[in-house]
Amino acid sequence: MSNEELLDVLYDAVVRGDRDTAVTQVKSGLESGVAPMTMLFDSMIPALEEVGSLFETGEIFLPEMLVAGRAMQAGMDLVRPHLADETAAHAGTFVMGTIAGDIHDIGKNLCNVMLEGNGFKVIDLGINVPPEEFVAAISEHKPDAVGLSAFLTTTMPELKTTIDALIEAGVRDGTKILVGGAPVTQEHADEIGADGYAPNAAVLVRTVKELIAA
Amino acid sequence: MDITPRDRVLMAINHEVPDRPPIVLGTSNATGIKMATYQKLKVLLGIDAPDDYLYDWPELGTAAIDEETMLRLHSDVRGVLDLEPATVLGRNRGREPHSDYVDSWGSGAREIKPGDWFPMVHPLASATTVEEIEAHEWPDMTDPTRIAHVAEQAKQLADDGQYAIMATPWLLFPLERAFAMQGMDTFLMNMVIYPDFAEALLWKLQEMCKALMGPFLAALGPNVDIIKIGDDLGTQESLLMSPDMYRQVLKPIHADWVDFIKARTDAKLFFHTDGDVFPLIDDFVDMGIDILNPIQTSAGKMSNIEELASRYGSKIVFCGAIDTQRILPHGTPDEVRAEVRRVIDILGPTGGYMVSSVHTIMNDVPAENVLALVDAVEEYGREAARR
Repeated sequence: MSNEELLDVLYDAVVRGDRDTAVTQVKSGLESGVAPMTMLFDSMIPALEEVGSLFETGEIFLPEMLVAGRAMQAGMDLVRPHLADETAAHAGTFVMGTIAGDIHDIGKNLCNVMLEGNGFKVIDLGINVPPEEFVAAISEHKPDAVGLSAFLTTTMPELKTTIDALIEAGVRDGTKILVGGAPVTQEHADEIGADGYAPNAAVLVRTVKELIAA
Repeated sequence: MDITPRDRVLMAINHEVPDRPPIVLGTSNATGIKMATYQKLKVLLGIDAPDDYLYDWPELGTAAIDEETMLRLHSDVRGVLDLEPATVLGRNRGREPHSDYVDSWGSGAREIKPGDWFPMVHPLASATTVEEIEAHEWPDMTDPTRIAHVAEQAKQLADDGQYAIMATPWLLFPLERAFAMQGMDTFLMNMVIYPDFAEALLWKLQEMCKALMGPFLAALGPNVDIIKIGDDLGTQESLLMSPDMYRQVLKPIHADWVDFIKARTDAKLFFHTDGDVFPLIDDFVDMGIDILNPIQTSAGKMSNIEELASRYGSKIVFCGAIDTQRILPHGTPDEVRAEVRRVIDILGPTGGYMVSSVHTIMNDVPAENVLALVDAVEEYGREAARR
């Protein structure tokens, strides 16, 4: 298989969510000397962008998006050790978490894959993350942006509590804060002093890039 | 003479305009009120009643509302529910405090902070084969303690004759059961990666659901007006799965489920499905679903209730549509009243509209807003119906 074919098959595997093929392609690429950067930038990232756009236009839905994310993740796990730090995080560093009292993470996890696929180093704090853990992670990693996810109206107040805690701890100003999750709106994001809001993973990537560039 | 609450519901179900739109509150989880808001309501109303839970299930957190409060809420329906087997209820009551709640299916909930339980225990999380489905220790759906109370409770309500009877066995929803067994993201992925397994699991769950629903309906006999089933098929922005996947995999299961129930009761079928499900409403009508709930007006195209009314108002009854993501928790009582008036003006004239919150009234809703909701129906709903 030529390198070009390998990249095509890899692209296709990520779009279709065929994890096994994605893994095989990345492995054989690494063995035959295809640059990890090439696999990432000429195949996997464009594939993920395609997935995001198919999702936004309603041609694929959550199940297909999830398996594509899983294939991407598996490929990334193999490629990552071969990338220089500045390459893996060329777009920036992103701290992500589902806020305290909430355990919903499907949307958050999709955001992580999209961010990583788009060149962000993602530090995922997981679910039910108390404000002090966000504070600690920001102090440690000095991220370009922080994502707070909430799925329920009853846990939404934690978004403001968390942002207030970041201000209180003096770590708010050096980073951009983005919020998202089912009941969250642009209006609410403005109200609680977030820098940005994203209704889904594809929009998140665009929004965070704009915020960092601004 | 005033019509009874039951007459009011039956008229709406038959697409006639009653004296005011019926109110469906307090009868099931998705039309219910969470405990903290119920407690606030009782304080506001000066009502002294115990803090009981639907399904005798504190971890679910939804209140079993006392009759005095039900009267004050002008609720036109009364609920009949099933129970987990007595042995399972007993085991959970006696378990170590704050440890996982595990139901008869092996699925369950974990306490994230005191009193807040989330469905995080999934017994088939790693299963991908039919063999693993068969090997699972499935619950005894025919355990008589699940429905021992049902016949008498329904008969009393029917003898009384005042209220429409809405019966809801807990989560006999094949897709959501699959989420409970595997985790939502895992099962959705399996629908793509292991489609035969996913379909086999859904049919197995349906078989289990039938094993309880059959005796449950037999116990109800003629003493029931509405049977509630469902499956969440929408998200905040669109459908959970593609229309093709729905029609290929899940629709035959739902159609079979509707047929099974309709062959055993004359009650109307109430289908609960969250999110933006607009593209599937024709499918619901096609399957013989009578009442659609909760009309999540904050999700995608479901916000366009004018189009819902004009396209489907004569084909299906709407129950819900009072927003729980913004208006009820964050609005003022005046804003709640204005929203109730707006929705009644649009959905009311179709006849087939029953007022309810979009899903459970959560603990962040002020008690004043719950009263504003029902009082607006009582006042404005009558005025609108006379026009």
